[in-house]
Amino acid sequence: MIPVEHYVALSALLFTVGGVGFLVRRNVLVTLMSLEIMLNAVNLALVAFNRQATHVGAHTGQIFAFFIIAAEAAEVAVGLAIVISLFRIRRTVRSDEADLLKN
Amino acid sequence: MKALFSLFAPNDFSLIAVVLAMPLLGAFVNGVFGRRLGKSAVRLMALSAVGISFACAIVTFAALNDLTDAAKHAGAEGTPQKLVWTAWEWMKLSGTGASRIAVDLRFSVDALSGVMMLVVTGVGFLIHVYSTEYMAEDKGFWRFFCYLNLFIFSMLVLILGDNLPVLFVGWEGVGLCSYLLIGFWYNKTPNAAAGKKAFIANRIGDFGLIVAMFIFAVYCGSLDWTGIQNNANNLVTSFNNPPGSGPGAIHLWPIGGGRFEDYTLLGLKIPLHKLQPDTPWAITAATAASLMLFLGATGKSAQIPLYVWLPDAMAGPTPVSALIHAATMVTAGVYLLCRLSFVFVLAPAAMLVVAFTGAATALLAASIALVQNDIKKVLAYSTVSQLGFMVLGCGVGAFTAGFFHVFTHAFFKACLFLGAGSVIHAMHARIHDDVRSQDMRNMGGLRKYMPLTYWTFVASTLAIIGFPLTSGFFSKDEILARVLVSTPTGVDLAAGPKPWQWPSWAPWVLWGMAIAAATMTAFYMCRCVFLTFWGDFRGWTIGRPSQVHKSHHDDEHHDHGDDEEHHHHEDLSQPGLPPRESPRTMTIPLLILGAAAIVAGIFNPAAIKLIKPDFDFLPLDHWLDPLFADAQRGLTMAEHHLAHSRELLSTFGAFTAFAVGAGFAYWVYVKEKGKPARDAMLKVPKLYRLLLDKWRVDEAYDKTVVASVDALADTATSVDQGIIDFVLARLTSLVVAATGTVLRVFQNGVVHVYAAIMVIGLAAVGWFFVQPHAAFTIDEKDGDYTLVASPGPSYSYRWYPDATKEPQSAEFSPTAAQIKVHVPDGKSQTVKLEVKNAFGRIDSKVYTISRPVPPGGGVRERGNQPRGN
Repeated sequence: MIPVEHYVALSALLFTVGGVGFLVRRNVLVTLMSLEIMLNAVNLALVAFNRQATHVGAHTGQIFAFFIIAAEAAEVAVGLAIVISLFRIRRTVRSDEADLLKN
Repeated sequence: MKALFSLFAPNDFSLIAVVLAMPLLGAFVNGVFGRRLGKSAVRLMALSAVGISFACAIVTFAALNDLTDAAKHAGAEGTPQKLVWTAWEWMKLSGTGASRIAVDLRFSVDALSGVMMLVVTGVGFLIHVYSTEYMAEDKGFWRFFCYLNLFIFSMLVLILGDNLPVLFVGWEGVGLCSYLLIGFWYNKTPNAAAGKKAFIANRIGDFGLIVAMFIFAVYCGSLDWTGIQNNANNLVTSFNNPPGSGPGAIHLWPIGGGRFEDYTLLGLKIPLHKLQPDTPWAITAATAASLMLFLGATGKSAQIPLYVWLPDAMAGPTPVSALIHAATMVTAGVYLLCRLSFVFVLAPAAMLVVAFTGAATALLAASIALVQNDIKKVLAYSTVSQLGFMVLGCGVGAFTAGFFHVFTHAFFKACLFLGAGSVIHAMHARIHDDVRSQDMRNMGGLRKYMPLTYWTFVASTLAIIGFPLTSGFFSKDEILARVLVSTPTGVDLAAGPKPWQWPSWAPWVLWGMAIAAATMTAFYMCRCVFLTFWGDFRGWTIGRPSQVHKSHHDDEHHDHGDDEEHHHHEDLSQPGLPPRESPRTMTIPLLILGAAAIVAGIFNPAAIKLIKPDFDFLPLDHWLDPLFADAQRGLTMAEHHLAHSRELLSTFGAFTAFAVGAGFAYWVYVKEKGKPARDAMLKVPKLYRLLLDKWRVDEAYDKTVVASVDALADTATSVDQGIIDFVLARLTSLVVAATGTVLRVFQNGVVHVYAAIMVIGLAAVGWFFVQPHAAFTIDEKDGDYTLVASPGPSYSYRWYPDATKEPQSAEFSPTAAQIKVHVPDGKSQTVKLEVKNAFGRIDSKVYTISRPVPPGGGVRERGNQPRGN
């Protein structure tokens, strides 16, 4: 059986990749994808911790992961709608060009 | 009557609700829908509302009469009867101690309020009828009747209220209606100013009424009539209560009953003890309450010093002057004096103030009325003067006489005002100018053209000047007689102080003032009749259409609702049409009121007793006797024979006053055609100007009271603009602006910068949870300290009871959340806590407990000095 540390390490790696992508990329689509990666990293950690010997018979981690997947789906729907609206108005999907609210 | 009582029990007489609700309904319908309803519907609504109210008032009065008769047969004569209706419980106030003062929305009809109710609804109905014609051409017809109905409702609340707060609601309501109706033609500046003046003058009086309510709540523990009456003695006996034991004497100087002690400021001794009188100036609560109530009465009933609003109130439509500013509202103050007569008689000093204020007002107003040329101004000052008579009557304890004068005055003064309105109505058709159509110098000879108006006006003039056997003769004569016969001497209660006594000259001075005022009354009223109705019509030349035309166009804000086309077809070389008698809707109320002015004396013809000592037809006297019985204990009547001779003297004086005043006016204005008056005017021009300018009281008020209030307002304005607006507001906005400038840097509209800030924030929150936080609370008892560590996620603890030594146990334990430490007196000890969380990170906190040496084993103090980690 793979020890839990491996899962947590992978999760941390994925989370970092997502976080960096979220911070540095200007393409809103990529930003959204980075968010997905971060959320899935969290899901992975939750499921992994739920497999530990102290948690036999408990399913909190799995259920929590399902909730996050549902929230993700909603978030993507809204997020993509915003991206499409942005594209229609500004003819771009770059977040640094969507700065009408500046000052 | 039995059927009536089976419908309405005396203690739940809901017919009163109908009396009250009808005018309110009328006001509501006319106010909300009146503009769309049209004039005939508004008229129908207004008249039926007051008419039904009047009919129900008659039934209620009959029921009360029946109840009184039943009580008489049951041998309970002398106990006042009343019909009560409680709408709902209003509030419960906290009194002194644990007592609660219930204030219900309760209405009652007793002997006093029953008569007032009939007068208000009856005279009110007649004036409503009159107004439908007088105001027929006005654009604000519906508005007028809305206000008028609302006034009737408020006045009924004032009269029928069973306690002071309900009375106060009505008191304010009539004030509001008065304000609205004085400023009815609100786009003329003087009218709006007059309305404001009336409102503000009344506000000063209201202050007194509110203070009186507080006094009753504290000293009597009640605000309804019965409760105040039952506990009225407390107002006097509380005087000797030692300080600090609840309500006692009311200290005027030093204010509130303190002591003046010397005060040292910067080494300088200020000898404040010199301000301390040998015996503190204190009055009984009865005196204070009476004076405060009377302040309220001076506002509403136009007495010195607050009478100034009433003459200005004539800016309103004439029916309003008749109803509100002559017949009903202005008598509310006198009604209050009568209603709380049992309080006033406990305070002879306050009664002296009341009596002298009344006499002085009667005299002052009569002297002003001598020279006024505006017919409504003459009547206005006459009203002030007559109110002075009523207050004088109440001031000497003749409450029945004072109230009887309210009753008769309602008829003859309403008739006089409506007659003046009829004259103005006729004059206004010729002279389209508010000032000149009311000037008596433009009138004259009107009896030929307006016979009905003339005869009713004469009838009520005879009443007001005291022509023998008219209503005014009986009521005024009784007041004058009682001034000499009855003296308020207060009540000598064993527990209270000895009542202060009137000086012996006071009744004679009061009587002299009243006789002088009565003489002047006869003179100026006869002058008014002679100038208006006798001689030749002077309006031919003054009211020439050419001039009319000019003055009409001068007046741009003319909104009396008259048709402009009216004069354009007139031949300017002709003097115009003669004045015409008013239509029947105006003359019928005049006839009824004029007849009442003559015969209303039948209700209390006390003067007949002088000729026929066993005469006993005094319905009003007997009717009101039970109500004023309690007040009699504070009055001393002259001995029988003396009283008889004084009453004779007084009646003779009253008759002489009438004869001299009327005869002199006849000589001046009819025999000599006004020549002596003109001569006198030229001889003493300064005195004449002074009287014409109404003793310049308004100017004096402007210079003193108004000017000081204005100065205060100016100061407040400069503080507001200088400090509030300039310093505070600017400074605040500067701080906000500076903060905004800094924050604007972060708010740059770029989405990924926001994202980065969010990530930094999340990281900070994450770090907070990764780090453990050591904290504990301490509980002490006699040197034993219990320390409890604050909980956290998977925390385990290790304690060092003494930080310099080894820990309690080597291992961290999640269950060792608390330890006990004993520290002896005078010693100190340092405790240390270490907390470890799931990540193995450790945080610690050090705390020193030190106990001082108790001073002689006495009270121990806690000397904990937090040091932190």
